[in-house]
Amino acid sequence: MGGFIAAFLLPVLIYLVGIAYPLGLWPVTGTDPTTSFLEHHHLGTLFLFVTVAGSLYHGIFRFQSTLTELGLARVKRALEAIGYLVIIIGILATAVYLLQYNPGFFSLP
Amino acid sequence: MSKEKPFPEYRRKLGPGWWLSNSHFTQYMIREWTSFFVAVFSLIYIYELSLFASGARDSALTLMRNPGIIAFNVLALLFTLYHALTWFYLIGKVQPIKFGKTTSKPWQALLVNIVLLLIISYAVIQILVLR
Repeated sequence: MGGFIAAFLLPVLIYLVGIAYPLGLWPVTGTDPTTSFLEHHHLGTLFLFVTVAGSLYHGIFRFQSTLTELGLARVKRALEAIGYLVIIIGILATAVYLLQYNPGFFSLP
Repeated sequence: MSKEKPFPEYRRKLGPGWWLSNSHFTQYMIREWTSFFVAVFSLIYIYELSLFASGARDSALTLMRNPGIIAFNVLALLFTLYHALTWFYLIGKVQPIKFGKTTSKPWQALLVNIVLLLIISYAVIQILVLR
């Protein structure tokens, strides 16, 4: 599921937030994309949560397994523990920040 | 019962550079390294969301305009697209679809998924940014 999210949803987020906004490219005009996402309370917040949480899970999980293939197999358990810790804290932090910005997320549109 | 094996187990030892010996292994490892960029981008963006949530919107936007961060984002986008395109191709190889007597080819899966990626990206832009 994380790979699916990283393949289909992450490229557009990286482009909008990390390239189009700072360089002033299409389609960003005026308002930054993160504010635009968060202004669409439910759908935008849900998009950010799914994309960031799914990509973080995919990225960290694959990266720690890559490190074990590059000669760190001896510390595989420690890498897994650190990886899952980062994933859990990252996903919880994303949820908290999004709800902090948009406390009415769970109310009906 | 003894668990001792009657013969010594042979395990080939691989050095950290084993993936450079074969172009397929190198491609595989490049693909695996795309996860580094995905993970780091996610962590940077979570930090930006924390700034937005705490009301420090200007600090978040200044961070986004940092040339180092922009350069990293360009690399992250290229690696993410590499991951996506190779994954689309692999889907077609691993799970070919049968239509009567013909079976789908990997490049067809690649093409269909690229179109899907473009539609999803355009929908996100149209619904969440331009509206």
